[in-house]
Amino acid sequence: MNAIEIKSLTKNFKEKQALCGLDMTVPVGAIYGFIGENGSGKSTTEKIICGLIHESGGTVKLFGKSHTDPDIRAKVGVLIEAPGCFPNMSVWNNMMLQAANLDISNAEQEVVKILKLVRMEGAAGNKYKNCSLGMKQRIGIAMALLGNPALLVLDEPINGLDADGMRIMREVLTDISKSGTTIVISSHILGELEKIATHYGIVRGGKMIKEMTAAELEADCRTYVALQAKDMSRVKAILSCKYSRVEEYEAGYIRVYDAVSPEVIVSYLYENGIIITEIGTSKIGLEEYYIDLMEGK
Amino acid sequence: MDIKFERYTFGKRLKSMLKVDFRRMFGTKLFYIMLGISFVVPILILVMTTMMDGSVSVNPQTGEETIMEAFDSAWQIIGTVSGETASTDTAAMSMDMMSMCNINLLYFGIAALVCIFTAEDFRSGYAKNLFTVRARKTDYVISKTLVCTVGGMLLILSFFIGTMLGGAIAGLPFEMVGFDVGNVVICLLSKMFLIAVFVPIYLLMSVIAKQKLWLSLLLSLMTGMFLFMMIPMLSPLNATIMNVILCIAGGVMLSTGLGAISNQVLKKTSLV
Repeated sequence: MNAIEIKSLTKNFKEKQALCGLDMTVPVGAIYGFIGENGSGKSTTEKIICGLIHESGGTVKLFGKSHTDPDIRAKVGVLIEAPGCFPNMSVWNNMMLQAANLDISNAEQEVVKILKLVRMEGAAGNKYKNCSLGMKQRIGIAMALLGNPALLVLDEPINGLDADGMRIMREVLTDISKSGTTIVISSHILGELEKIATHYGIVRGGKMIKEMTAAELEADCRTYVALQAKDMSRVKAILSCKYSRVEEYEAGYIRVYDAVSPEVIVSYLYENGIIITEIGTSKIGLEEYYIDLMEGK
Repeated sequence: MDIKFERYTFGKRLKSMLKVDFRRMFGTKLFYIMLGISFVVPILILVMTTMMDGSVSVNPQTGEETIMEAFDSAWQIIGTVSGETASTDTAAMSMDMMSMCNINLLYFGIAALVCIFTAEDFRSGYAKNLFTVRARKTDYVISKTLVCTVGGMLLILSFFIGTMLGGAIAGLPFEMVGFDVGNVVICLLSKMFLIAVFVPIYLLMSVIAKQKLWLSLLLSLMTGMFLFMMIPMLSPLNATIMNVILCIAGGVMLSTGLGAISNQVLKKTSLV
């Protein structure tokens, strides 16, 4: 069964078409990295999944049922844009209010447990408005985690988090995913997303342009040889004669994609009178894969 | 992986929504400030008008003199006896004062309570948490109507206690002419149930305006104004059980009808 199954989803805002026939499939238990440029339709899709805005066309199914089914929706946790908290209330009261909203029986214990999980137990007495951006983000995630949701929809949850906060978040999300919770997470910090996502969906102009698993991404990500030599422009010219994709990269490096091995390149350049000062092989990451895809490479 | 979802019945949903709204209503300063205002306002009105009783003000342009008249009894701030008519100019002026400064003002205060209470859901973003787990909007509308009605009833009660205290401080008589204690209780009950007529109107305006508090207040006060004149008629001091029934019937009808419209507004419009 799929946690989310979206078919031909459209959404029009007056004249503007935000989604034009988007399809999306998220298997149960997946951590789905939802990627796209600003305004590509990620947040709109997430809001429709959560019933916060209404679709113009298409179908949205959660766990095989309509996304308007109250039984299903009661098990959806959400953090879209800013956390929904009352600024003059304490963190504790905001959490307790959400616990009441979810009709959690052992609310106090549950709130303590979740606050500990996101390392916010010390800030429970603080007024929400006095919390830092990173703290607010953690509170938002804590609220989304309350009630053991079957589906968690997180829009840019790691924005504003420091390195430690990101690590904690990574651990928390990986842990809850192990318990069967499906997570849809959109983020522009692709390096972080790559560390936890099991599935990816890349959206552009309101359409899904690619959906794949982490394993497929791994297989798709091309290997390259990165090298540094003295006369970089000459190196580039020589290598371009033999290899189809040679690019100058940051800090004076040249990348040769799909090259056989560094040894072949070393000997080829040596034959052309060039001495390499540094060479190594690597694979492109999600960020570069995404940029390549966007640029049509 | 097969996931089983617990049945989230209407009863369960309403119970949790009521928990949220009551917790918010009784957990925010705004409600207690309004309760305090409802308590203090009748004291101020009764004491100040009594102090100014008989003072003469002169219109500088016409030279016309006006004698300030105070309330004749403490009950006048709660309501009037139906069938009473103004026979003289003084009585007419007294009626004006009564129609301006009395318990019925609370129905405008309740507009502020409902509008702020509802707009805060949308302004804070809490609506996202609420509506994500609530596919049906009926529980939200019913809960808001019930909680705001209870809140309004407490404001009426607070005003009544303030009136008793203000009347005693001002030394006004508590004489009952044309009505008795039972009528006063019924009058208060009518006024309390009449809140259920106003709350759904204010709630509808609030869900239309969402986070735009100014708009919901403006719309609520404008629409409330049309019904304002019927309050003294429906809840006079000599009210009978029929008045209570009428107010309950009106409250139920408007809550159902306008509640259904509010529900549709929430269903059809964006919630963020």
